[in-house]
Amino acid sequence: MAHMNRRTVLKSGVAGLAASTLATPLIAKSRSVRIGSYGGYFENSFKEFVYPEFTKATGITVESVTQPNSSDWLVTMQQALVAGGMPTDISLYARDTMIKASRIGDIIAPLDLTKIKGASNLDSYFVFEGKGGPQGVGAMSWFSAMVYNPNEVKTPASWADFWDTNLFEASLGLGRVYNAGLLDFTAATFFDGEETLMSDEGVMAVIEKIAELKPNVALWWTAESQMEQSMKNGDVVAGQYYLDVANLMALDGHSIKPTFPKEGNLQDYGSWCLTAGSDKADEAAEFMNFSSDPAVQALMSRKIGTAPLVDKSKTDLTDDEFNFVSGAPAIKPAYEAYLDNETFIKESWDKMLAGA
Amino acid sequence: MTVADDIPLAKPARAGKATQPFPIRRVVPGVLTTLIVVFCVAPFLLVLAISFGRKVDGAAWVWDLTFENYQRFFVGVLWPDEITLLYLQQLYYSFYFAVIASLLAVLTALPFTLLLTRLKRSTQAMWLVFILSSLAMSEVFIVMGWDILLSNNSGLPKLFRETGLTAWLKDVGWFQTLRDWGLANPRNVKFKTSDFATVLTMSYLVWPYAVILLYPALSRLDPSLAEAARTMGAGRWTVTRTVTLPSIRLPLLGTTLLLFVFLLGTYVAVTVFAAPEKHTTAVAIYSNVRGANLNAPFGATQAIMLLIAASTCLSLGHLLNRKAEGAR
Repeated sequence: MAHMNRRTVLKSGVAGLAASTLATPLIAKSRSVRIGSYGGYFENSFKEFVYPEFTKATGITVESVTQPNSSDWLVTMQQALVAGGMPTDISLYARDTMIKASRIGDIIAPLDLTKIKGASNLDSYFVFEGKGGPQGVGAMSWFSAMVYNPNEVKTPASWADFWDTNLFEASLGLGRVYNAGLLDFTAATFFDGEETLMSDEGVMAVIEKIAELKPNVALWWTAESQMEQSMKNGDVVAGQYYLDVANLMALDGHSIKPTFPKEGNLQDYGSWCLTAGSDKADEAAEFMNFSSDPAVQALMSRKIGTAPLVDKSKTDLTDDEFNFVSGAPAIKPAYEAYLDNETFIKESWDKMLAGA
Repeated sequence: MTVADDIPLAKPARAGKATQPFPIRRVVPGVLTTLIVVFCVAPFLLVLAISFGRKVDGAAWVWDLTFENYQRFFVGVLWPDEITLLYLQQLYYSFYFAVIASLLAVLTALPFTLLLTRLKRSTQAMWLVFILSSLAMSEVFIVMGWDILLSNNSGLPKLFRETGLTAWLKDVGWFQTLRDWGLANPRNVKFKTSDFATVLTMSYLVWPYAVILLYPALSRLDPSLAEAARTMGAGRWTVTRTVTLPSIRLPLLGTTLLLFVFLLGTYVAVTVFAAPEKHTTAVAIYSNVRGANLNAPFGATQAIMLLIAASTCLSLGHLLNRKAEGAR
């Protein structure tokens, strides 16, 4: 650098410029895929723990896209696709939203399962067959569980305890939306479960039972954060909340504890779906293959707190690790009823809440 | 359906002679009309068109020309087997909260603004800047703040407990009354969910607007009128009633109506603080358009009905005002 003068500096500058221009096509050739997941802690954990492993294994880089949740994202995707945009190559949808997307059409594309060998690790329930073939590969599952404040109440043994006004007057926090879980809990506790929700009479009977619960509910929450704040603030002492988040809050020292009552907790799951029209079908297939691997399922359980979609024996999760994210019995949401009878269920539910 | 041909579009300005100056007087109204059509009329027509659409259970909605959504708004989806007034009830609560909160905001902002106009010019300016800047806070932020202020472990209920007020209420037996009103659980008082919290937050939300809207009229009030009345022996209350209030009747009514319309669409405060029995049309619209349901047509119908109801109210207010004006 001793002979550095203005001219050499200029020359090296030009060389540098040339090098960066030359490098551009190389970057364009490297493979990448855009993947959506629910924003916040969830997405951050994916960015920190899962996507780097995927890039290491396949050389495909991941651009993370924030989804607010599953159902709102469907509206966003629908509008974007009509307008000619494509916010992401892979979206994360809950089962009911995925079925809706499939029925609406031109939102999610069929998958080539021969390229997603790992999907055979999953129970066939988690590989969704939609219009024109498989359209979703299970990503992870989560429990909506019974939670309580151990400083205020004893561990409830059954969802039926929530109906006891002596224990829970104006003290519960439950989901405000009709398919958030209370219908399923109530059907499993006092009726024949999912089957009851298949008929209008059954739905009405369950809703009438829930109406009895109203004096005990202090908070009908729509956003996760509402319930989190209310548990922390002591505005509610029990209710329903996500199992993994409740466990994390407990680890942080907050007075909250999840439990599996004898009827069980609600298990819902998310699926990776390929956006219709995306030219990243191969990269997407590689990612879905990667995420179905038992080792990756275990990684997600440890780092994100989701329940694995593969049998526990296939993973190296310890009992403690497994119980942190999963449990039994599991109640399956009455997806079919919620989809095929949604207008009736929503109006009846809203009427019950409004006392109209 | 949308009849795009009927939309009055600005006629393209005819190319004049090259020597003529730029016809700004003819172009500006054209541009303004186009802007209004594109940003106001077209979205409104779209909402109107969607409100005649049809929901497909288990999927999304499709374009159609059905009045079922409007029928559902009045009698519910199961009509004629069953009638529900759910959606009219929601509309009622939209008005209920908006009326109470806008009146409360104006009634409290009025004395404040009156006092404000009597301060030094520089002090007035400082207050106005402070109030204007508080408008930068979003509804979400304000609701969050009040949420914490009314929380059991960090807010007003904690104050009740720590000062012994809760224990005292229990001793004298009024606590049971609060429980009956839904303002307490067995452990402590609670203000969420309640009408109190909802109205409080909603008035807080529009209070700066009330001050800013009332300020010009109040600052132009001629103090000599009130002074003259006082020298003739009128009491303070008589002066307020017969001199001050009548001279600001119009801005007072205008402010209340404006805040009322603004509050009809309140979403966050109602979702967080109002009991589900008292949820409003705005909340219902959102839960139909977004969320798990994807029933945009019914959401659009509710929006149109809210708009019609609000316009009717505004027209009535205008009519009353004209009548009062004529009676004088």
